[in-house]
Amino acid sequence: MFVWIRALASRTRTWLSPSHVEQDFEHELETHLEMLTDENIRRGMAPEEATRTARIRLGGLTQLRETNRELQGLPTIETLLQDMRFAFRMLRKNPGFTAVAVLTLALGIGANTAIFSVVYAVLLKPLPYAESNQLFNVFETRPQDGITGTGWSYANFVELRGQNRIFSEMAGSQKHQLTLTGRGEPSVVNTSVVTPELFSLFGEKPLAGRMFFSEDGKPGAPPVVILSENLWRGTFGADPNIMGNSINLDKRSFTVIGIMPEAFRFPLVTESEQLWIPLVQDPLFGSWMDRRGGHWLQVTGRLKPGVSITQAQAELDAITARLAKEFPAENDGWKIRMVSLQEMIVGDAKSPLLVLLGAVGLVLLIGCANIANLLLTRATSRAREIAVRTTLGAGRVRIVRQLLSETAVLGLLGGVIGVSLAYWGVRALSSLLPPSLPRVNAIRVDNLVLGFALLLSVIASCAFGLAPALFAANSSLQASLREGGGRLGESRNRRRARSFLAAGEIALAMVLLVAAGLLLRSFSKLMSVSPGFDAQHIVKADISLPQFQYSTPQQWTAFSDELLARIQAQPGLQDSAVAVPRPIADGIINLGFDIVGNPPSSAGASRTANYVSVSPEYFHVMEIPLLAGRLFNQHDVSSAARVSVISQAMARLYFSNQDPLGKRLVFGFPPDGQVAREIVGVVGDVRDVALGRDPGPMMYVPFAQAPFWAANVVVRSALSPSSVATAIRQEVRKMDKELPVTDVAMMPDIIEASLSQPRFRTFLLGLFAAMALVLAATGIFGVISYSVSCRTNEIGIRVALGASSGAILWAVLRETLVLTLAGLAVGVPCALAASRLLGHMLFGVSANDPATLAAVAFALAAVATLAGYVPARRAMRVDPLVALRYE
Amino acid sequence: MAGDKSEILQGTLDLMVLKTLEAMGPLHGYGIARRIEQVSEEALKINQGTIYASLVRLVQKGWIAGAWGTSENNRKAKFYSITKAGRKQLNAEAQNWERISTVISRVLRIAERG
Repeated sequence: MFVWIRALASRTRTWLSPSHVEQDFEHELETHLEMLTDENIRRGMAPEEATRTARIRLGGLTQLRETNRELQGLPTIETLLQDMRFAFRMLRKNPGFTAVAVLTLALGIGANTAIFSVVYAVLLKPLPYAESNQLFNVFETRPQDGITGTGWSYANFVELRGQNRIFSEMAGSQKHQLTLTGRGEPSVVNTSVVTPELFSLFGEKPLAGRMFFSEDGKPGAPPVVILSENLWRGTFGADPNIMGNSINLDKRSFTVIGIMPEAFRFPLVTESEQLWIPLVQDPLFGSWMDRRGGHWLQVTGRLKPGVSITQAQAELDAITARLAKEFPAENDGWKIRMVSLQEMIVGDAKSPLLVLLGAVGLVLLIGCANIANLLLTRATSRAREIAVRTTLGAGRVRIVRQLLSETAVLGLLGGVIGVSLAYWGVRALSSLLPPSLPRVNAIRVDNLVLGFALLLSVIASCAFGLAPALFAANSSLQASLREGGGRLGESRNRRRARSFLAAGEIALAMVLLVAAGLLLRSFSKLMSVSPGFDAQHIVKADISLPQFQYSTPQQWTAFSDELLARIQAQPGLQDSAVAVPRPIADGIINLGFDIVGNPPSSAGASRTANYVSVSPEYFHVMEIPLLAGRLFNQHDVSSAARVSVISQAMARLYFSNQDPLGKRLVFGFPPDGQVAREIVGVVGDVRDVALGRDPGPMMYVPFAQAPFWAANVVVRSALSPSSVATAIRQEVRKMDKELPVTDVAMMPDIIEASLSQPRFRTFLLGLFAAMALVLAATGIFGVISYSVSCRTNEIGIRVALGASSGAILWAVLRETLVLTLAGLAVGVPCALAASRLLGHMLFGVSANDPATLAAVAFALAAVATLAGYVPARRAMRVDPLVALRYE
Repeated sequence: MAGDKSEILQGTLDLMVLKTLEAMGPLHGYGIARRIEQVSEEALKINQGTIYASLVRLVQKGWIAGAWGTSENNRKAKFYSITKAGRKQLNAEAQNWERISTVISRVLRIAERG
């Protein structure tokens, strides 16, 4: 081993300064020739004769120099180029083979590169903030209640920021939508409600103006706002005089003090039009700042350099203990957890993307196996060429190098075409990508992705090139020369290798097909599952009330009552209701509750349900069935007895052996948090979170008894969505000219959009599985047709001896079946293991669904048999006379 | 790999060069080639240039070392001498070789007796 390292070092040295070594060698040869000539003269030759004989004795000078160069240094650029040129010539001579191989590779590398560009942008690329790996989100958790991460109260955040020694900077933020008026049509803008430190936390400088000072965050400070560049260019038409002027948000005037550059995005990396206001100025959150209870402020911190995660967690635990001791009422049982901002933003996009990357990798692997098979076939027919070259003195290493250069040229060609495919593929992917995927705007084919493609083509060429090259270089010389065309005597090893590759392709294809089959089945189940309401002909629209103007619950109720009455008076819009939040379209509100008469929920067994505030018509409009008791009616107003309606799941979960009607629940928002509400009805379950989630317990309250500052409307109408929207807009405008109606959408479209992630992965995985199937079929076809052409002779003899065409057909098909069954035998356990990775991506189908497994195995066997049948037909038609003459 | 003749040939030549250098002390390429021809009683007719590939390999492995000097006829020539590592290697190889040739000759004798 040591000797080899030493030799390599010496070679590398020479390679770095070759001229000196070559001069030395020339000198040695010269001396040698002179000595030989001297000797010849001494033996009595004439000088001319002596020189000539000396030359002969020494051997060809050029060859000696070349051998020396080859031994002394590493292969020169010229040799490599020569190899490449030769490789190109060889590939041009076999355009069919070259086209198939390059195309297979290009597709494989292209698909891999495209998927990798998505994976890189979404999962791997550092966030667009300075030293983004130091940024962490800090959550409060309550593991015993299953709360894994929630926000902070402002008061607790202040304690945390003051007490810790691990974060160099911390900031809090929340999202809110405010109504922008005074600039054309009233509109709703995404607003980040932040503590002033936010911008210095991210190390960002404004494009113009200034960032928030800490004074801006104090109560009583004049309201100020910072705009994003895109909002400034879009809504404000890049108004150069905007700085120092004021804009109206929720009917309050804010002075513009700065503009943040386009590149800065927070809190979501995808939002481009937004603005930032200090927390204290927000109509909603500003009023929550002095409450220690509550968990709503998202906290982000920059870890000091050199502080480890464990150190940080220890410090956070200490702070937890201190807070619990100081303010036990609000903080007992709460813990603190930190998660890197990157992980936060990536969220649950991670595992589907990795599964896709793995799948597309398998496709490339199958493609490589196919090319390796083709190369093995070719190597057999090239055995004679290689034998001749070996006889003429080419060493084993030299031949392997030549064959590897051929595959490297193939790999690079495939890589180049693959990259252009990837450019196209990334564009195609971008239109397919679910809008909920984070950081999609960062997806592009950049240098790193190109590097990945290059690496991939090199690895791929080694993968499919090495084995055939070694086989070829090892073939027995005499045998190859003897065999003439090299057609009959394919070595057993090589044949075994080819069968192994084909069976391997079947196994890999099985893995992909099973995964695709499972996703497809679960997607079709997802498409057909009932959400618990009828989404057809439902249009939704959002009307958010500026809270500086509409500040009391009475105003909210009055507004929504009048709006509903006006809308219902329009022809065709009778079926209208208000609901906050609406299933699937909006988020959820999960509240804890107690049952009057039962012991209050203890730690570890807290009861929660999803909360919805609805107008009485809601259940009728959405066609959510009443199962027991009554629905809400006009009399359930704020002055009347408090009532609630619960879902079937809630009745089953909490009132399994009793009648829930008449029982009273304590829940609600402050100041109504401790109000008891009588259960008057039970309605059907609704999948409110997502179609793929089983419906959980839900509790409804009358909007009049628990109003919001939003009148979010649902209308069931046979009219077109646009005319529904127009009608709603008209009525809203009659009530308040400056109220925007936003997010008008058809409910079926919203449900459709909520399936974009599963659709995306199902489509892509299906595509990859289809590619795998085609490749595997080609592989089988290749192996069987080659085997048939090798056996033409044998088949001819058999036919001559009276074998029926059926027997011939069976002989060939049996070979196909053996390969397929071997592939399936390996493929089934692999597929079972791999589909476990799909786990939570499946809906209504278990990861080892026998039906899918059986269907895929059957389909694969059918396709493989078909691929074997074509060459089998050819075998049947073999003419014994022609076959026997073939030799 | 066992069928690769050229590699065995290389090994044999390397062994002969080592042995020559051990027996004769420092020698230039021409001297080594002549010596091998003489010892083999001219049975081994090689292109003398082949010796240089062997010399490069041995130098790279550190078994011999080369240095420029002056020949008996006052020519500038590169002289090669065996190193300590080279002697060790030669010992090992020679033993190995002897063992193999003993076995072979025994086998051949058996074959003759038939």
